[in-house]
Amino acid sequence: MAEQKELSGTGSLTGEALEAEDVLAGAEEWSSTETWLVVGSFIVAIVALVIGMILVPTSILH
Amino acid sequence: MAQYPERKWYTGMLSTEDWWAVWIAVGFFFISLLNIWGIDLVGWMTYPTKWVFNPPEGGKGAISHAFYALGKKYSVSAKGFYKGLGWWSVIWSYVIFGAALTIGAAFMKWNLKRFIGGFTLIYFMTIATWFIGHHAFIAATKVNMHKYGLNFALNLGGGGSFILALIVGLIIGNFFKGFAAYLSEAAKPEWYIKTAIVTLGVKLGYLPIKLSAMSQKLGKEAADLTFDLFVAGAAATVVAYLIFWPGVYVISRKIFKLPRKTAAVLGSGISICGVSAAVATGGAVRAKPVVSIMVSALVVVWAVIELIILPGFFTHIWPGTKDPLVAGASMGMAVKTDGADAAAGELLDEFMRTKIEVETNGAVKWPEGIITASAVMTKVWIDMFIGIWAFVLALVWVYKFERREGERVPASEVWHRFPKFVIGYFFCWFFLLAIYFGPGQAGAPEAMPFLKTVKAGAVPVEKGMRKLFFMLTFMSLGIITDFKKLKEAQFGKMIWVYFVALFCFIIPVAIIIGYLFHHGMTLPNIAQYVK
Repeated sequence: MAEQKELSGTGSLTGEALEAEDVLAGAEEWSSTETWLVVGSFIVAIVALVIGMILVPTSILH
Repeated sequence: MAQYPERKWYTGMLSTEDWWAVWIAVGFFFISLLNIWGIDLVGWMTYPTKWVFNPPEGGKGAISHAFYALGKKYSVSAKGFYKGLGWWSVIWSYVIFGAALTIGAAFMKWNLKRFIGGFTLIYFMTIATWFIGHHAFIAATKVNMHKYGLNFALNLGGGGSFILALIVGLIIGNFFKGFAAYLSEAAKPEWYIKTAIVTLGVKLGYLPIKLSAMSQKLGKEAADLTFDLFVAGAAATVVAYLIFWPGVYVISRKIFKLPRKTAAVLGSGISICGVSAAVATGGAVRAKPVVSIMVSALVVVWAVIELIILPGFFTHIWPGTKDPLVAGASMGMAVKTDGADAAAGELLDEFMRTKIEVETNGAVKWPEGIITASAVMTKVWIDMFIGIWAFVLALVWVYKFERREGERVPASEVWHRFPKFVIGYFFCWFFLLAIYFGPGQAGAPEAMPFLKTVKAGAVPVEKGMRKLFFMLTFMSLGIITDFKKLKEAQFGKMIWVYFVALFCFIIPVAIIIGYLFHHGMTLPNIAQYVK
């Protein structure tokens, strides 16, 4: 298959692994943990946005 | 526990590109500081200048001066010697940088014969494109083209050389694949750009010194501005990061019906920091290696497309010269590899500075490098979060999705995922700031002779070495980019996920957040101090 090609500094990737199984099929059911991960991330982002805009002197609030 | 091998905190210091970017750039930075004691060992670094075949009488642009050693202009102790180098500075730079990089390659256990052969060819092709890209027809602006006897010029500034290097690299990578394969041992865009980013730290630290030579007030202004970018970049990145990943994850899972692991790796690759994030996340969630490879390939190809589109878009459509730092910060959040981002930032810097000069007929000139810094700053912050986010995902996968008895994720994973070149970047920046505010007395007139010696060392590193490594990055990025990959059937679905996520979600969100934190930030006008 494809020749060995390092794609990052990790040196851990090889082209041989492209002898692929189908990694695009077989989606699992959406779970509550995913909801928690996604919603939690958005909530932290909004909190960080509000705090950041208050604290950072170059934000449009100043 | 095979997933998390026993590693010491210093593991990889002599065997990874990240650390070798630090050793090489910081090594040259320290050598440059010998100028303080009157020893100039960096003035040989080569740099191009604009040229034409037939320079007008009394005008500029002789081919014989197209490359010069930077010590000719800036050295305090050896100006006469470096003045005589001229084009030979190209050879000096090849030998010295080639030796330094070969030492790194040897420690990383690469094939040295192929590395030296590949680097030699890449270096001289890079010099050739740098030379062609500095023909005044390409690089001159409406403001200075008459000095070269021209009535028309493309106004590309130094950006023309970058585009040319990328085009030459892409031609090699896509039409001369055997040759590209031979060059691949030395075509290392991530290594070159990480080295360039460390030298960008020198640039940031040097800016106040440079502007102090014009006026003490300007120097202080530059120090304040770079610190503002540091703070605004951090806040913008945290917010963007926590919106990007879940957004892309939801798009992948809900719209494109991808499995969890593939969606997680895609989420990191598209939203965080491209290749390294995809690899780190792939490891954290134990995705099959093919997922990281596919995402990495997509990241590289799309980053090149962004690199071609975004600098022109931000310069000529929105926000233009009204908000150059919004453009820079948004670029840093939108372009997903260090190499393409810093390169796109550099291109944006050239385009914006050229545009403002033309728009104002030379009445406004911005210092070089600040817009690039705004793009790199957000990217560097994002890079720092790779380790933290990979750690969080590893916890979620180990303790929630794939719970196994007795398994623990060591906290040291955060350090091992941390992009080490960032340390070099901040080190150089803060070291020079300490010199500026310490013995440099914040640019006071009585400290100027001392600061001039610092400048003699800093300029070859922040200008000559940085630009050369950017050029090497563009050339190498082109060489390893294979557009055929996009056509491969298996990529079809992922190409669409990437396209939708990038253009409908990542870029708009990056622009909004960049605007919220950077709108109204202005660059100092140095027109009255430079020719």
